[in-house]
Amino acid sequence: MTEQRVPRGAKVRLGAVEGDLRLETGVRVEVEERLRVAGEIRCDGRAEFVGPVECERLRVDDGDVMIRGDLQVHREISARDSALEITGGLQAGRVDVDRRLNVAGPAVAEEVEVGGALRGGASLTADRVAVGGRLSVAGKLTARSVEAGGAIDAGTVDLESLEVGGAAEVGGGAIRTSIEAGGRFRATGPLLFGTLEVGGVAELGAGSTGDRVEVGGKFSADGDLTFATLEVGGIGSVRGDATGGTVTIGGRFEVRGSLRLQGKAEIGGSISVGEAVDGDSLEVGGHLEARRAVFRGTAEIGGQVTTREGLKAARIQLGRRARAAGPLVGGEVRVDDRGHVEDVYGDSVELGDRVEARRVQGRRVRLGDRVSVDEVLYTESLESGDDVSVRTPARKVDRLEPFPL
Amino acid sequence: MVLGDPRSGPGGRRREATDLYATVLEVIKRYHGAARVTRISYGAGMPVDRLRTLLERLVALGLAHVEEQDGRPLYDLTARGQEFLDTYWKMRAYVEVLGPIGRDVRRGAQP
Repeated sequence: MTEQRVPRGAKVRLGAVEGDLRLETGVRVEVEERLRVAGEIRCDGRAEFVGPVECERLRVDDGDVMIRGDLQVHREISARDSALEITGGLQAGRVDVDRRLNVAGPAVAEEVEVGGALRGGASLTADRVAVGGRLSVAGKLTARSVEAGGAIDAGTVDLESLEVGGAAEVGGGAIRTSIEAGGRFRATGPLLFGTLEVGGVAELGAGSTGDRVEVGGKFSADGDLTFATLEVGGIGSVRGDATGGTVTIGGRFEVRGSLRLQGKAEIGGSISVGEAVDGDSLEVGGHLEARRAVFRGTAEIGGQVTTREGLKAARIQLGRRARAAGPLVGGEVRVDDRGHVEDVYGDSVELGDRVEARRVQGRRVRLGDRVSVDEVLYTESLESGDDVSVRTPARKVDRLEPFPL
Repeated sequence: MVLGDPRSGPGGRRREATDLYATVLEVIKRYHGAARVTRISYGAGMPVDRLRTLLERLVALGLAHVEEQDGRPLYDLTARGQEFLDTYWKMRAYVEVLGPIGRDVRRGAQP
């Protein structure tokens, strides 16, 4: 194949080249309508093309190349120690740029690899995108996999997987298989996702739906959220309704609407639900606050329960010195020593030593030493410890009124 | 700099050695065993001479692995390097959750 060479610093006007085109450094090419090069364009240093360019391959060594127009490369772009700037759109097979790639228009390629930074002013569509530093796409980002060492920001996304060392912010869309972010992940709009693993902070837009969420620090959803598992090391918040399988939160969990779980909720610190919470079981180290809370299995609370309508579970266990505001309704209810509760209803109710209660109703009731209760109603048995104080004498009745909840 | 990017310290503070190590290791990780020095330099935004010193240290500490291919060194992340990154991000998560120490906390800490 023939080669047309342009000497260093030359200004030329070209339209079509039958073979290869080789430019020495500092060349400016004025394009006649469209520059069509049948073979390879090779730039040994910086170059500028004014107009659209089409070629089989583009190779750049040690220089910045500017294309004022569209660039279409049928096979590969390779830019060693170089940067590439395109003011129009880009169509290419494989793109491999060491330093920086800027594309103002829509970009379509099979594979894009950039060492430093990639900035897209419109959309970017590729099978695989890998960037060492920062990836920024103003429009839609569509790819099978996207990776960046530093940061990613994009408009809407349609991806299989996204992996970023530092931070990622997307407008919403779908990341179907996995999201991995070292520091921070943020979706400002609704996101459909598979797994979300973030070391630091994750923020999701309202109406997001995913499978597994694992966040080291803080997690928040700006509205309703649906998930299979939610694990947060520090603080979690959902500013809407949360529906899912299981929840494990190291610190505090706040849900502004209702929380519906198929499985267990384990909260190290406190849980606050604006509306109702229901699930299989609950374990809270600190405080549970909700309009109402209903669990099919066990509810274990270490510190305090505050409900307007009550807490109901097959088994309720309140820790030592625990406090409950609102009724407790159980199959089995046990309040450890020095607890302070209001009304307690259960098939079996056991109050530890020095517990203070308002009203107790149960089939079997057991009161520890120095328990203080306003009223006790029971149908089957009552066991009392020493120095128990019951303001109205305890009464055995044939049957109890239906329990709340 | 984007919050959460290791190229800025947690809470916007000046980046420390650990932030630099994390930045470089995250870039190395993206190349799946084929990270060239120039590529890492562009990705981490760090001059090559300074980067070489840092890479030597990462290799000496067992956080990165280097292998010659066609006379050029190619870097890869080791299991220990991944462990460092996991710990680094976990610690930054704790810092994020705890937040800056308020005046009341500082005052409370004083006798």
